[in-house]
Amino acid sequence: MSLERAILSPWRAAGRGLHESLSLVVGYAPIAFSFGVIAVQSGLTPWQAVGISLLVFAGASQFVMVAMMAAGSGGLTVLSAVLMMNLRHLFYGPALATRLVALPRRLAPWLAFGLTDEVFATAMAKGASRPLEPAWCLGLASGAYLAWVGGTALGASVGAGWASDGGYVAQALDFVLPALFLALLAQAWRRARWPVVAVAAGATLLAMVWWPGHVAMLVGMLAGALVGSRRLRAECSQEATT
Amino acid sequence: MTWWGIVIAAGAGTFLIRYLPLLSGTRLARGEGRLNRFLGALGLAAIAALIVLSVSDLWWQAPHWRGGVRLALGAAAVLLVQRLTPNVGLATLVGAGVYGAAGWVLAD
Repeated sequence: MSLERAILSPWRAAGRGLHESLSLVVGYAPIAFSFGVIAVQSGLTPWQAVGISLLVFAGASQFVMVAMMAAGSGGLTVLSAVLMMNLRHLFYGPALATRLVALPRRLAPWLAFGLTDEVFATAMAKGASRPLEPAWCLGLASGAYLAWVGGTALGASVGAGWASDGGYVAQALDFVLPALFLALLAQAWRRARWPVVAVAAGATLLAMVWWPGHVAMLVGMLAGALVGSRRLRAECSQEATT
Repeated sequence: MTWWGIVIAAGAGTFLIRYLPLLSGTRLARGEGRLNRFLGALGLAAIAALIVLSVSDLWWQAPHWRGGVRLALGAAAVLLVQRLTPNVGLATLVGAGVYGAAGWVLAD
């Protein structure tokens, strides 16, 4: 019985992760659809568009990649731009590892492949209240990946003649990702952590004056986490003396 | 470099950027030092930065008071639903619905 439970448990955790990826699916599908449309309009075949989503799985940098390829940029230039944009992901793995109950080696590559901004944000928001099971994270990332690839395929195949008409439904979909991040913030919110949020938001806003969004985000993340590391140490010291 | 070569290299590079630090992260996660606290705060900081990025993208699409009101109403709806039901998916959908409906109500 205990053996059966031990075998089923990761599957149940993965199922829960998949279920909780629904909010990500809602956020990803329209963006992936747009990516499929734009990729085909830029001259790629539907298979090429889907191939990029299958192999790269990194939202914003895929748009940049297609735009640069369409503009005739060289291979190394495109590659450098994509990797520079994704450098912020360097910090996601170690941060996620602090919230995992364990990290089996065989699961690490799969977890890493699915570690996008949104998957990371969702996992960290959930991880603020309880340790995360790796299988749960895999379920979460799988839902996001399927939505991303499926949305791209749909956009690339049926969306070629589709253009955003600026309708209210399309506008509502524009707000899905900000809404998702806000809900995640509310879920992970602790009163003592407000300086982390304030500094990260302020630094991102300020950095956007000089740098593109992906650099500004990196600056904001690091500034907020730096403040967080000092604050958390102060909180720990306070707890120890009381 | 061929077209598929670029795509495969971009995918492999992105994967390694995510994978290699994750492996070292298991060692860091066991520590109690400042780096561990830094990593613990990184998630919340990333969420805050993502909110600023995504909201500013929306704002610059139509930098007008109506856009500000829509954003405020959508955000309020998200926070209200998240407070009433700890369901991120529902809060997201209701927030997006309110944002879309506010656009219709506030239209010229």
